[in-house]
Amino acid sequence: MNFKTIVTGAVLALAAISGPALAEYPERTIESILPAGAGPAMSVSQIIADAMGKTLGVSLTVLATPGAGGIKAFQTGLNKSADGYTIIDGYVAPLVLQPILGKADWKYDDFIPLHAAASNAFAIGWRTDETRWSDFEGMMAWGKDNPGKLRYSSGQRNNLPHLVIAKMLQSYQVVAQNVPYDSPPTANNDVKSGILDFSFVNVGSYKQDPEALKIGLVLSDRPAAKAEFGGAPSITDINADLGLSGLAPMGWDWWLVKKNTPSERVEKLRAAMGTAMADPDVRTRIERLGFEPLDWDHTHYDEIVSGVRDQLSTMADAIKWEEDALKALK
Amino acid sequence: MFDMLLGGLGLVSSFSTAALVGAGLIIGLFVGALPGLGPLMGIILLLPYAITFPPVQAMGFLIAIYVGGSCGGAISAILLRIPGTPLAAATLFDGYPMAQNGRAADAIGIAISASALGGAFGGLILILFSPSIAAFAAGFGPPEYALLAITGLTAIAAVSDQSMLKGLIAGTAGLLLATAGTDEFTAAERFTFGLFEMSDGFNIVAIVVGLFAISEMSNLLTGNDLLDRPTLSIARPGFRTVLLVLRHWPNLLRSSSIGAFIGALPGAGGVISSFTAYAVAKTFSRADERYGEGAEGGIVASESANNATAGGALVPTLALGIPGDAVTAVLIGALLILGIFPGPTLFAQHSDIVGGIFLVYMLANIALFVVGILLTPLFVYVLRLRKLVLIPTVLLMCAIGTYAVGSSIFDLWVMFAFGIVGLILRAGGYPLAPMVIGVILGPLLENNVRRALLLSHDGLRIFIDRPVSATLVFINAALLLCVFFFTLRRHFAGRRSKPLPVNT
Amino acid sequence: MTGPLVIGRRTAGWCAVALMLVLVALVFEQIRDVLGPSGMAEGGPYDNAAAYPRGVTLVLLGLVALQIVVQVVARRRVPADGFTLRQLVRPAAVIAIFGLYLGLLGPLGFHLTSAPMLFAVMAVCGARQWWQMIALSLAISFGLAWFFESQLDVVLPGGIFHLNIPW
Repeated sequence: MNFKTIVTGAVLALAAISGPALAEYPERTIESILPAGAGPAMSVSQIIADAMGKTLGVSLTVLATPGAGGIKAFQTGLNKSADGYTIIDGYVAPLVLQPILGKADWKYDDFIPLHAAASNAFAIGWRTDETRWSDFEGMMAWGKDNPGKLRYSSGQRNNLPHLVIAKMLQSYQVVAQNVPYDSPPTANNDVKSGILDFSFVNVGSYKQDPEALKIGLVLSDRPAAKAEFGGAPSITDINADLGLSGLAPMGWDWWLVKKNTPSERVEKLRAAMGTAMADPDVRTRIERLGFEPLDWDHTHYDEIVSGVRDQLSTMADAIKWEEDALKALK
Repeated sequence: MFDMLLGGLGLVSSFSTAALVGAGLIIGLFVGALPGLGPLMGIILLLPYAITFPPVQAMGFLIAIYVGGSCGGAISAILLRIPGTPLAAATLFDGYPMAQNGRAADAIGIAISASALGGAFGGLILILFSPSIAAFAAGFGPPEYALLAITGLTAIAAVSDQSMLKGLIAGTAGLLLATAGTDEFTAAERFTFGLFEMSDGFNIVAIVVGLFAISEMSNLLTGNDLLDRPTLSIARPGFRTVLLVLRHWPNLLRSSSIGAFIGALPGAGGVISSFTAYAVAKTFSRADERYGEGAEGGIVASESANNATAGGALVPTLALGIPGDAVTAVLIGALLILGIFPGPTLFAQHSDIVGGIFLVYMLANIALFVVGILLTPLFVYVLRLRKLVLIPTVLLMCAIGTYAVGSSIFDLWVMFAFGIVGLILRAGGYPLAPMVIGVILGPLLENNVRRALLLSHDGLRIFIDRPVSATLVFINAALLLCVFFFTLRRHFAGRRSKPLPVNT
Repeated sequence: MTGPLVIGRRTAGWCAVALMLVLVALVFEQIRDVLGPSGMAEGGPYDNAAAYPRGVTLVLLGLVALQIVVQVVARRRVPADGFTLRQLVRPAAVIAIFGLYLGLLGPLGFHLTSAPMLFAVMAVCGARQWWQMIALSLAISFGLAWFFESQLDVVLPGGIFHLNIPW
């Protein structure tokens, strides 16, 4: 027996114990690729992944892959095989917003949906001892009188909160400077210490320290979102109509797999995720984080996602408007 | 405060907590020592397991991985001249030469003792001054962070005095390499060559493993002793190494303070603190201590600082809910999953949990000392391996460890490319560590300078209008003068005593 | 040290300088050809992605220029040692094997490529006890795979054959 025989033998033995077609799916760790780093979103995905892993009988790990507004995670997922061992955690930014902004070339219906996961609302907040204004309309009035003076942060540039805030500012014809921050808590801290005038606040940061900032406006028309932010005023309480409703101004995700994934595997994953999302324990844990667990199964995907896409498409020019207005001031 | 700890004691004092802390430490030491994986990946990978326990036990397990991992990197730095994690890059300066002088076990013992003592010091600061330090750190804004990054860069000049120009070149190149990826301000892809894998820049782990491991393995391969079984007798390290560390108590206190302070600043981290502490220790050292040739003080400085950083990083994490570094961001995620919201409300509503977390952190550091010293012979056994086994195994571990960080084959090619870069630089007599510190400081410097300029209504004035920022401008200027003066003085003193060997 | 010098210390110094100059050239080329045309190389801190890298590159260029001066002035003081061909053969072979391994890791997967890589590196190191080497290679590669796959839930590359062991 020479070296070659041994290697061949080893390969055959390996193939026998691990041939994908021979065994019952799933037989090894499944990865869910999250287009974000550590934070509340990762915790929510981890909760769902754990519950699904228990049903499926294998580990389901969350692979945090931040970068390029979520595009890196999607590309990573698309480069893996369509074998049901890779789930793409389809957050709205890479799934819908990036294609609208021309940064990604996929469409939402290029993926097979498993189940809707969770939504989370954004708000804007300013410091608690602010003297220049006392409510949202007051801040807009101040901003209009002092064009280009307001400094705010939406987290990353061109992300969903940026689009929504830019749309809001455009409606009031207020020119303000977005200052990008990689870490939302740091931006909130800089508002608190008086360097920034206002910033987007995600519900996770709010829950960690409700007293840190005054929540000026919840960027959602859903009553549940208002309740998450302690009943602060929401976009239904202001004079302007931003043209935003439902999930459009919020963060949300559907779990997806690649096209061409074998349908019996898709069904297994759908069933596992359906069970997880219906589990009261999973729902409470997600709700505790300030996220709202979503009930839609895959049959609602087209309707819900295309609705959000249509709304976001109409406001894509708001960021451009902001850039031009800032340049005109200089 | 006392009530808090007393309340926490009830949550901590159980056999399962102690067992979880012990298990976490062992895992931490291993993931730290394996090139590639570090405390961050260790915690991410074991998070699903940890969250099956109650909050304080889960935190005990994860914090123990953090503490063990922050120290474990030193082991491969000392034995193999490969920092197991970027945190240990400064430990290499003196750890490796010390091992080469036949004091490997002492070097590891010192690294472990210094880590444990530094970590415990960081813990004391955490327990005693959490609220006031958090309040001070919360006042840091973009101008202050930009200046802090510049402070870190002065460390490059201090740590590479024999080849300061080459060190500065490597550091500047590091700053430049860090600009690859998505620019945070314009959302433009810079220097990515159209590759989506590059859209988040180079993976720092791939850079560090590539730079050090491939050049070091190549260096070993040039020798003629590949087949020989090393016959060196390895002294058992003892618990007495703690005495070796305590002899350097001013250094220990200073480095731990630097570590805890930098840790408390969100966004800075262990790499910056260990380099800064090393640079300061070296600057204040006597010429006859011979930093860079196996000085005990060098290991004490960098290892006590990077573990104290862990304690410091927990300050803003728990008190403000702002992650002090990437690891604490994951720790916050774990707490959130368990239904605990770190921040001021946690101190008010669940003070027993805060107390429990303080106590498990202290416990982890004390246990690190015991577990670490007991495991040292196992680690030192690496030196008994024949090089023909050691070299391929290390290469495979580098590949698998780097792959595990992002499940990315592309990262492996990044590692390989940086291996070639490391070879060329090392052959040219360039120190490699400054490149690492440049890559780490790059985003901190660029983003905060640009942020400060956007925030400012009148340009650069923002750097001197804010009191803390103005103080930092002054400190930076003083530091530069200091480094310049002490380096010159040591240079001339050293020249009088003996010609310095070149080669690093 | 036996045999003629292939790369002297001085040459190595110039290689490093050349590497830095390549980096500088690459940055300027990218700014001119990629960032410039897309409008990312002008304006203030919010719009200009090129200003900071350009500044750092200029600093680097200055430092490298200084280094060139130092190398020219001090060329006689650099010891005339370096690396011989004999010393370079093994590292070069191992780096080539490692590169080949990384190239095959994607298509063939971890389990098919790792043991042969270990075996080949041992062979280059001069080992000749074939049976021992085979056993050691298999033990090391599967041992590490077990630790990462079953203990840490890392999914190692499976290659086109999808070879992943369900531990």
